[in-house]
Amino acid sequence: MPQPILELSGLTKRYGAVEALTGFDLAVAAGETLAICGDNGAGKSTVIRIVSGAQPPSAGEIRIKGRPVRFASPADALSQGIATIYQDLALAPRMAIYQNVFMGSEILKPTPVPGLRVLDKQAMREAARGFLARLRVEIADMDKPVEALSGGQRQAVAIARALRWKADIVIMDEPTAALGVRETRKVIDLIHEIKAQGITVILISHNMRDVVAVADRAVILKGGRKVEDIPVSGLTPKSLAGMIMRDDAEIAADRENQALPLGGRRGE
Amino acid sequence: MTRADAVSRFGTLAAGVAVFLGFAVASEHFLTVANQLTILRQVSFLLILSLGFTFALIAAELDLSFANVASLAGVVTGGLVHFGHSSGLAIAAGLTVALAFGIVNGLLVTRLKIPSLIATLATAAVARGLAFMATDGVSWVGRWDPSFVWLGRGKVLGVPVLVVWSALLAFGAWFAISQTRFGVWLTATGEADEAARLAGIPIRRMKVWGLTLSGLFAGIGAVLLTASLSSAGPTSAGDFLMSGIAAVLLGMTMFTPGKPNMPGTLLGTLLIGVLANGLVLVGAPYYAQDIALGIIILGSVAISASTLTKAAFGL
Repeated sequence: MPQPILELSGLTKRYGAVEALTGFDLAVAAGETLAICGDNGAGKSTVIRIVSGAQPPSAGEIRIKGRPVRFASPADALSQGIATIYQDLALAPRMAIYQNVFMGSEILKPTPVPGLRVLDKQAMREAARGFLARLRVEIADMDKPVEALSGGQRQAVAIARALRWKADIVIMDEPTAALGVRETRKVIDLIHEIKAQGITVILISHNMRDVVAVADRAVILKGGRKVEDIPVSGLTPKSLAGMIMRDDAEIAADRENQALPLGGRRGE
Repeated sequence: MTRADAVSRFGTLAAGVAVFLGFAVASEHFLTVANQLTILRQVSFLLILSLGFTFALIAAELDLSFANVASLAGVVTGGLVHFGHSSGLAIAAGLTVALAFGIVNGLLVTRLKIPSLIATLATAAVARGLAFMATDGVSWVGRWDPSFVWLGRGKVLGVPVLVVWSALLAFGAWFAISQTRFGVWLTATGEADEAARLAGIPIRRMKVWGLTLSGLFAGIGAVLLTASLSSAGPTSAGDFLMSGIAAVLLGMTMFTPGKPNMPGTLLGTLLIGVLANGLVLVGAPYYAQDIALGIIILGSVAISASTLTKAAFGL
């Protein structure tokens, strides 16, 4: 792999006596779509919280393009090009589409009064429409409140915000969890669109069909440890689900048979 | 816009116009220029206090202290003028006290995590106690410095200066909320605080700002009220609590239904002013106004319940 865009080494997170994540290593190539899978409590959300800046790790290091970084807040992670799209989407339902896309980074324009800058609503409406067009989503009225949109359209608004931040890395936390079949397909299309723009995607999902549909590689967590790190091509949703469900003895046996180091990568 | 949309946005306004026309028919004195200016002058204090309350409510916090804080600020300003200090010092002291209460409210809510409903109820009690302590329960009345009294009683080109002040403040409040980044951040904080935080908006600071502006506007209203009455007493602004809340809630039923908004607050205030004035002119008993306010509050809350529940209980 050339210089990875994101590297995590030895990430560990303890909540009191509980170790939610243990010595997690990961390298993500630019433009890659990586899925992080695992059962409930496997440590997926913990990885996301750390990488998105919502929580600091207890130990370990994050490097972006080889440079060590520390995040004190989600805003820090954003400024380093990591945008996270949360399960609950983190949108303000009653605010307009363009206001959601530009939340926290509004476009301002000068006024005749020195030092006074006001919102450039027209520029924001047009730019928001442009971001959505890049995702092949057309919504006529940018002043529509987000609550009036479908689940897939809301995901698009959340992704448009990531594009606005010029994020190199977009983390999507269970993007299809609350969606029906049709909307899920739209979200899969959205992920393909952002992939096509060279953006690195880290996808957290319970839905193995989604993972097989979009990911290049899958990392499987179990009990806070990485147990698999494999390319997705050739896998079926069923075989992937099987890997998540295997118990610890099977994994250990498998590992001995193949004489791979912990966290080693098969298929390379 | 659908018909239902139009009704929800402009229904209250239409009802207000009907009330206005009703009074115009019922009383020959209602529509006179003098009476209309009286209404505008009377609602100016209410408007200024309500604008402040709206700032806090936009950040999804309730400020139940604004009326008592205004009484206290009025006592501070009035007392200093009454005992011969300069008007400038008196005004600065009154505004500082009100501002300080706003900041303390903000810190109680954001640092000690006390729900604003409780925090501001408590600071309201403190403000009331301090106002009684300072005055021994009496009102100060006097022949005060004319330049100070002008602030509340003067005229500019025939228009009462109070109307000018309140128009400027209403414009400033509308501008801040709808045209500046500050306004969007305050709105986002009130609408979806977690989403705002994740987008990098400093939500605690925005909540402190909302409550601080409520305090500051209470202070400005207090200075003007004191100048206009040329007297200050420990409960001089107390009655504005109910009518201020009613005005803002009524405003939330207009334009952007369910959301506190400055144009709504302006019209809500005017409507309540018209109602108060009209009820007097048609000879309604003094308690009719209180009953009307109660009904307005209940009716408005029925429409805007979710926003208010969130502001009151953080749900």
